[in-house]
Amino acid sequence: MDKSLHVIVMYILTHLALIFFVYPGNIIDSTTQGHWAAIFIGVAVHFIFIYLYMKGLSFFPKKDLISIYFGAGKIVSIIFLLPLACYLLMINIITIRAYSEIITIVFLSNTPLWAIMALLLSISTFIAISGIETIFRTGILLMILFLPPVLFVFFASFQNVDWHYFLPLNSDLGFFAKREFYQSFFAFSGGFIFLGFVQPYFSYSRKKILLAAVALVPFFIFSVYIPILTFGQATASLFTLPYVVVVDTININWLMFDRVTMFFLLSLITFIFLFISLIQWKTVRIINKCIPAVNSVYVIVALSLFTYLVCLFIPNWKEVKNLFWWNSMLRFYILIAIPISVYMIGLHSKRGGKQNDG
Amino acid sequence: MDAILSEITNKFAENEDFFIERSELLDVPVFFLGFHSLIDLTKTKTNIQRNINHTIATKASLEDCLTLLGEEKNVEDAALSILEGKLIICLEVDSKCIVTAPVSKPLNRSIEPPTNENVLLGSLNSFTEELEANLGLVRKQILSEHLRSKSFTVGRTQKKKLSLLYLEDSTDRKLVQQVIKRIEANQEKAIQNIQSLAKALGFSSWGIVSKFNITELPQEAVFYLKKGRVVLFLDQFPAALILPKLLWDMFVLESDNNHPAPMMIALRLLRIFGALITLILPGLYVALVAINPEILQIELALSIAKSREGVPYPAFVEIIIMLIVLELILEASARLPKTIGPTITMVGGIILGQAVVEAKLVSNLLIIILAATTIATSTVIGFQNLLTIRLCKYAMVILASIFGVLGIISGLVLISAYLASIKSFSIPFLHIQSTKDEADHG
Repeated sequence: MDKSLHVIVMYILTHLALIFFVYPGNIIDSTTQGHWAAIFIGVAVHFIFIYLYMKGLSFFPKKDLISIYFGAGKIVSIIFLLPLACYLLMINIITIRAYSEIITIVFLSNTPLWAIMALLLSISTFIAISGIETIFRTGILLMILFLPPVLFVFFASFQNVDWHYFLPLNSDLGFFAKREFYQSFFAFSGGFIFLGFVQPYFSYSRKKILLAAVALVPFFIFSVYIPILTFGQATASLFTLPYVVVVDTININWLMFDRVTMFFLLSLITFIFLFISLIQWKTVRIINKCIPAVNSVYVIVALSLFTYLVCLFIPNWKEVKNLFWWNSMLRFYILIAIPISVYMIGLHSKRGGKQNDG
Repeated sequence: MDAILSEITNKFAENEDFFIERSELLDVPVFFLGFHSLIDLTKTKTNIQRNINHTIATKASLEDCLTLLGEEKNVEDAALSILEGKLIICLEVDSKCIVTAPVSKPLNRSIEPPTNENVLLGSLNSFTEELEANLGLVRKQILSEHLRSKSFTVGRTQKKKLSLLYLEDSTDRKLVQQVIKRIEANQEKAIQNIQSLAKALGFSSWGIVSKFNITELPQEAVFYLKKGRVVLFLDQFPAALILPKLLWDMFVLESDNNHPAPMMIALRLLRIFGALITLILPGLYVALVAINPEILQIELALSIAKSREGVPYPAFVEIIIMLIVLELILEASARLPKTIGPTITMVGGIILGQAVVEAKLVSNLLIIILAATTIATSTVIGFQNLLTIRLCKYAMVILASIFGVLGIISGLVLISAYLASIKSFSIPFLHIQSTKDEADHG
């Protein structure tokens, strides 16, 4: 059954959840002018690899990433699935830790961090336990409830824009030498892996996913440019979360609320719940395939407890940033190696299949 | 012969309203057995006599007469038939039990307008306690040769009749088969109420969302039949149980289609809005007053703070107390006889409206919020749905009192996820059946 809508919704929501927080800060820090070049390189890389990935997956209809690797042999599956599992686990930890920090910074300064992390984790775990179909259906509901406020705030954030700051346009490619540029790929690499996991449950059309990715491009561009157009590069580079600061400057009189940021952030955080539960589900799929004897519910619960403990041991934002940087290597491995390998295995099996037929 | 008679008599001897009457039919001695409370004996006997006189004219024997009157059954079935309100004729010479349909006492009410649901622009008939009457009401609403019905008798000691209705051309065969299979597998279990029926159908009894969509209106039942659902009738339960229940049913009524399309959409949006308000508003009050006052514009924040001046306890306690008082009023007015009911309304109105504010026990704003919430809750269709939302509201208030606005949002995520995780007969709760004549979303 074609369930492209569910997959598209999930794709857009998880990416939106990732774009508006760290991504603008990373890009703004990585270069002083011509940010478009940095954004477009990222977007281009994103497109190339999701295309390759989906092309590769399309060689194996009705099979998910794990069974593809398992089909290709034990060594292949260890080479690719082990890093993937580590990556997912790390990303899970980082996301929970980072977003609870953001929540305390922005609006719950009196609530202890452990309570927020426990909330984030427990709800995501609940969703993950209910399975992939629940995750996707929840996605649809959350889109209906929370996408309108996100879009509203996104458009409202153009309120204080000065288009002169768009200049100068020329870029110096100096960002290739910057750590932040590589960190910005977090926004691209986080969300797309799930396309390989949903196959037996949901089938989707490749073209529609690519269209969804195209629809995300303006968000990538403006999440960076709105802070620059509002404050200018020099000021914008001072903030940890530039886009959130911009949203804080929005003033809408007829809306009885003073801080629109709250609604924007909270809506995005609902998408984060989805993102985390999706990651947990993926990790458990991998673990369960390797140790099929254990009930997956126990695995998810154990995993969340482990994640929670690790999160408790991360003392401050600096450590989060460090972890984020260490994770970069793995991130590029996932972003590049997995799509290519799936594509290669696909080509290989296709050729092999043909030879067998002949 | 005597054996049969004494067996039945033994079973019912301790009932005052049980009768054994010796009589003669065509000079053959017979016994009439039954319950006075269920059978109008005089009228029944006249009827039987008339029938027999009629058949005598054709020179038939008593044998033929009796087969015309009813069918022969063994003792077990005969005893059950007595309970169902049938009359048993036992021949004294022959060991025979004939079960006949007597003139019953008028124990059923007539078909009346619904008592629990209001109808605006729609047919006013509602289901009654009698199963056959309900089937008849549905048949009258839908003149279709595709309508199928199937009956079951469930329970071992306490029998209950159960009927299943579906439209063959629009219902998924798999769904019907699954429902039939589960009922047949649990035929021995006693099904006396919706909860035990849900258990027999294999649903967990701990879910907070009712597994059946319950309606009193034949019109609505037919609407769901046309949409490919299955309708169950439980004898002596004056409503149709629709399976599977979907989220969208909370907001959609068949009689909406009697309005122009824009009104229909507006009405449905209003109901969705009502459900959301009920969930969010009490929580939002707690969150804004106690945890995140800074998101309000300063004037508003000040006026809220002013209205709470002198209130001696935290917002959470304040709202929980008032919500519980409100629930008590709702429950009390459902329990009380109609003559005393208005007293509760009046007393409750005084407490909630004025006294409690003047005594500085709660803030003005809270009263407004409570009123708004109560009104908004009632926009949802179906009383059992209303209960679900009322319960979810408390989860939201608790989360909001801990995490502020974040708590409300996570409460919404939690509820969404819970709704998304419900499935009945492998049809997800959030499923939407898109028929051509309906603009669906949600």
